[in-house]
Amino acid sequence: MSERGLRIHQLRASAGGTQILKGIDLAVEAGHVHALMGPNGSGKSTLAFSLTGHPGFKVESGSVTLDGADLLAMPPDKRAKAGLFLSFQYPAAIPGVKVANFLFAARQALHPGDLPPAKFRALLLEKMDLLDMDPSFMGRYLNDGFSGGEKKRLEMLQLAMLAPKYAILDETDSGLDVDALRAVGESVNAMRASEAGKDTGFLIITHYPRILQYVKPDVVHIMIDGRIVKEGDAELAQRIEREGYDKIREETAQIA
Amino acid sequence: MPSATLDKALELRSGRERPGQFWKIDLDAIDFSSLKAAAPSDPQIAAPSKPGLIACGLETARRDHAEIFNRAFGSVTGTLNDKFAALSAALCNTGAFIYVPPDQAVDDPIEITYTAKNGALFPHTLVVVDRGARCTVIERIEGESSDTVCGIAEIVAAENASVTYAAEQNLPLESQAFFTRAAAPGKDASVTWCVAEIGAALSVSRIDVLVDQPGVDAHLNGFFFPRENQHVDMVSTIRHNVGESQSQTLIKSAATGRGQARYLGNIRIAPHAQGTEASLRDDALLLSPHAHIDSVPALEIGANDVKAFHGATIGALDESLIFYMESRGIEREAAEKMIALGFFEPVVERFPTAAMRDRLRAALEAKIA
Ligand SMILES: Nc1ncnc2c1ncn2[C@@H]1O[C@H](COP(=O)(O)OP(=O)(O)OP(=O)(O)O)[C@@H](O)[C@H]1O
Ligand SMILES: [Mg+2]
Repeated sequence: MSERGLRIHQLRASAGGTQILKGIDLAVEAGHVHALMGPNGSGKSTLAFSLTGHPGFKVESGSVTLDGADLLAMPPDKRAKAGLFLSFQYPAAIPGVKVANFLFAARQALHPGDLPPAKFRALLLEKMDLLDMDPSFMGRYLNDGFSGGEKKRLEMLQLAMLAPKYAILDETDSGLDVDALRAVGESVNAMRASEAGKDTGFLIITHYPRILQYVKPDVVHIMIDGRIVKEGDAELAQRIEREGYDKIREETAQIA
Repeated sequence: MPSATLDKALELRSGRERPGQFWKIDLDAIDFSSLKAAAPSDPQIAAPSKPGLIACGLETARRDHAEIFNRAFGSVTGTLNDKFAALSAALCNTGAFIYVPPDQAVDDPIEITYTAKNGALFPHTLVVVDRGARCTVIERIEGESSDTVCGIAEIVAAENASVTYAAEQNLPLESQAFFTRAAAPGKDASVTWCVAEIGAALSVSRIDVLVDQPGVDAHLNGFFFPRENQHVDMVSTIRHNVGESQSQTLIKSAATGRGQARYLGNIRIAPHAQGTEASLRDDALLLSPHAHIDSVPALEIGANDVKAFHGATIGALDESLIFYMESRGIEREAAEKMIALGFFEPVVERFPTAAMRDRLRAALEAKIA
């Protein structure tokens, strides 16, 4: 019997010969919002890349299932087809590939034949409007010459267009001005309110509680040094904002 | 054809010794003397109807437009002392003459198609654009047989004229192609070369712009993509002999299979050519471990008050880009294809007409498949 959720069990992963994830246990529930916080270098992006199958990260042990399917056995594109999405902390620029063409190819790959080009275009324009993106972005080369904030908006546009089952947002809120942050928050909320996105589970990696004001987390997970050391409700994010990670480090060091 | 001219051409050296770390073909050892030339013929020429516009074969040009034609024919390429241009001139058996009268704007492209069949082709396309006139020429080089094609394209642009010349060489994979393309723009004239070397087992080409007048705006765009055992040898040269002109060179290349290429990009700025602005950008993409591209930008700058820029990259497909696409559900093979096609897009976009761009994209796509 398959179990819903993005379920990570005792995940260990390394990069460049160094173990970075040291046994992660974390479950993202369908339709829920999970926040993942942790100091720089604690392994948050490594977790995101290990889940999505980045070739630079080696999973050593543990298991990950997406609605019961063995995620780690799949190549990256199959993971996306299974319903996983990552909003990159540093999205790649691909000169010569136009935003609209790329998005159409991705949408076709994930939902074959479900949107004829004209309807796709209409949907794209609608989602761009929601993110306050100028329609001219459609014809631009993917992330080529985009500002930091524009790249993040484009990640959110892809999220909206691809309607995944589970979405990891790796510091999508970093480097955004207040208006962009609000636009991103509204876009995520619009998605969660929609039929296609109401069951989407979110893992929002962030350093700031700001984005969590827009998108309320059901659970906040704290990662330190490759381990999940604490879980709590939205208030935990506020506490970290006030106190930093030192207190939590001390507490968890005692437990260990 | 006087055999003395041919003998002289056969004796000329190609001057193409470098670059070529992996290059094995000796261009001076190629046997031209035993080629069977096709009977003289005119290419297919399609031109819009415009008052005063001439678009015809060489025989007609010699007979009906002798004065303009004779003054310009060979006036640019004849000065290059190039082996392949000399061979083409000596054996010339087809060609086209385009003349645009003063201030005439010919916006729809003039299309010339050379088709190799029943023997080697030695085409000569001459484009003369008079004062303040403009036109776009598309030259297609195709083959029903794998006969050698050794041709010339020549642009003589008067003051304030504007010419775009786009050449698309798409010969069968067994043939050999040699092309000399040279332009002499007048004062304040604008010249754009767009060159796509797609077909042929061996493609040897040179593209020249002779900037002998101020105010010239020269653009040189080109791409090539050898696959299997194809070899491409391209040399581009912008000669800034006078100042206050600008040039931009953009070359994109990829190689796959055992494809081999060498590119030499020359920018020569003469000592008194002050106020010149020249840029050269060439990017090379290696899609297989057995493919090679030697890409050498060569800037010779004699003047001090100039802006000269060059940038060159060479490498395989970027894994992080592939992963980004895969993470969106696009399969690896499709991702590689999209990225490689995207790599060429900035230069493909500079070719005139949507139909031509689509043809070029399809040709590139077929090479990656
Ligand atoms: N390829 C690699 N080789 C060696 N070490 C690596 C490699 N990739 C990541 N690391 C290290 O792994 C650790 C975790 O990196 P990661 O990017 O996952 O941190 P993060 O929690 O996302 O940090 P931030 O908040 O700064 O984004 C860091 O110490 C980093 O230097
Ligand atoms: Mg990170």
